[in-house]
Amino acid sequence: MSNGASGGTAVAAGAGQSRTSRAAEQTARGALNFSLGIVILFALWWLGGNFIASNPQTASFAGFGLIPTLQAFPELWHLGKLQHAAAASGLRLGAGLSIAIAVGVPLGILVGRSKRFRDLSNSPFQLVRMISPLSWMPLAVLVFATWDGSIVFLIAIASVWPVIFSTAAGLAKVDPAWFKVARNLGANPVQMLTQIIMPAISFDIFTGIRLALGVAWVVLVPAELLGVTSGLGYAIKDARETLAYDQLTAMVLTIGVIGYALDTICALLIKRFSWHRGDA
Amino acid sequence: MSANTTTVAGSAATAGRTQSRSSVAFNSMANSVGNFCGGLAILFALWWLAIYVASLNPALSQFASFGPVPAFKAIGHMWHSGLIPKALGTSGYRLGAGLLIAIAIGVPIGILIGRSRRFRELSNSPFQLMRMISPLSWEPIAVIVFAGWDQAIIFLIAIASVWPVMFSTAAGLAKVDPAWFKVARNLGAKPWHVVTEIIVPAIAFDVLTGIRLALGVAWIVLVPAEFLGVTSGFGYTIEDARESLEYENLMAMLLVIGAVGYVLDTACLALIKRYSWHR
Repeated sequence: MSNGASGGTAVAAGAGQSRTSRAAEQTARGALNFSLGIVILFALWWLGGNFIASNPQTASFAGFGLIPTLQAFPELWHLGKLQHAAAASGLRLGAGLSIAIAVGVPLGILVGRSKRFRDLSNSPFQLVRMISPLSWMPLAVLVFATWDGSIVFLIAIASVWPVIFSTAAGLAKVDPAWFKVARNLGANPVQMLTQIIMPAISFDIFTGIRLALGVAWVVLVPAELLGVTSGLGYAIKDARETLAYDQLTAMVLTIGVIGYALDTICALLIKRFSWHRGDA
Repeated sequence: MSANTTTVAGSAATAGRTQSRSSVAFNSMANSVGNFCGGLAILFALWWLAIYVASLNPALSQFASFGPVPAFKAIGHMWHSGLIPKALGTSGYRLGAGLLIAIAIGVPIGILIGRSRRFRELSNSPFQLMRMISPLSWEPIAVIVFAGWDQAIIFLIAIASVWPVMFSTAAGLAKVDPAWFKVARNLGAKPWHVVTEIIVPAIAFDVLTGIRLALGVAWIVLVPAEFLGVTSGFGYTIEDARESLEYENLMAMLLVIGAVGYVLDTACLALIKRYSWHR
């Protein structure tokens, strides 16, 4: 009896160990592939930079190469340009996304729950969604007192749509029986929202936020090319106007790295809140 | 005889069902047309109301030209003066060229990602890094590399829209049942046949889904790309309307951009439905 139990524990422990070692192996493989991929990209970039620098006609653009770009980073950091740009852009992005989530999630729940609202809102929402966000710019500049306000507005109006539609799609997938069970157990509307709707659709909301982040990231830089004197878009424009090509590519690389990090965080959150596939 | 009766009854029942089905289809279509128009009517009514209320305030009276009525009048004027057709032509050309390049590059690379595990694992980090470089930050580089503004804009659209095409193609290929390839090989299919008879029909749905996403991103990139340098297209027309303080033209262009985008998106959606075999 005790033998069997300990045997079971041993098997379980063995399985657990092999699972952790497999997970460790996978992580190592992932890290290796990640680094190798980046190394290949940088090697190609280095080759291209050398090619540009060796041709006398294009030698003035040698700053685009890998080595000058990497050398520009400490300088940008010491001048504080990098931190300022990232902080200013981060503030605008965060404010715009927060507004998009605060507006988009309730609207998405309404779209998902009310057939009447869904039917009627479809054509106006699709029309307004397909108005390219940056074409609101002249209007935003007139309506909002500050450039910061109009940039936040542009980011919010660009990123509200994925949040609305993902939330609505998530709600449509929820089993209607859950609502009946909750009502039978005496749930009030607030409990319905916090106990049923939010846990069920958090996966879809995060998927929507990830899409929204991608769109907001596309809109942020052109919005900052005009008017303002801070942020990642301005830093790029500034580097171009001063012909500091090494700083230009350094800022472009920074934008890619920050975007990659934010996107990865969203992907992790999506995995964490997923209950669709993680059943087994 | 009795069999005959059953057949007749059966066909009558079928006819009845077909009729009721077509009338149901007709009803649901009438319903959706009603909702489409009703929704837009509500949008325009709210727009009119907002501008009307705002322009009651004497300090904001110059905002009256932002209303829907001046905007619709402006669409008529701008159509006749050739502003809208010209903007449609040039922006459409840039969008089409950029998307074509994105598809021509994105689909083969997507197939490579979907078919080769080695390539997928190695390309993931560089592709994700480059994907998250905001497309408009390539602009200074594009302007230096390309001789004309037109090419630079097409490059920006292409680099923005290649990623959704690539990743959708790869995801579509990952869903294809590997047995199909075995069956095809057993039946003596050449690599060319595998591409045209298995891969392309199987992933057409996903490629079109990717193209729809790509269109959405390209549509966002197009306008700011046209703010600078060029003197034609949607972005330029908006910028021009703002600088000449013709606010009714500005609102008219907003409407035109939304409407054209809506039509393109709906066309993509119809194509996706046409090539869907999953459901």
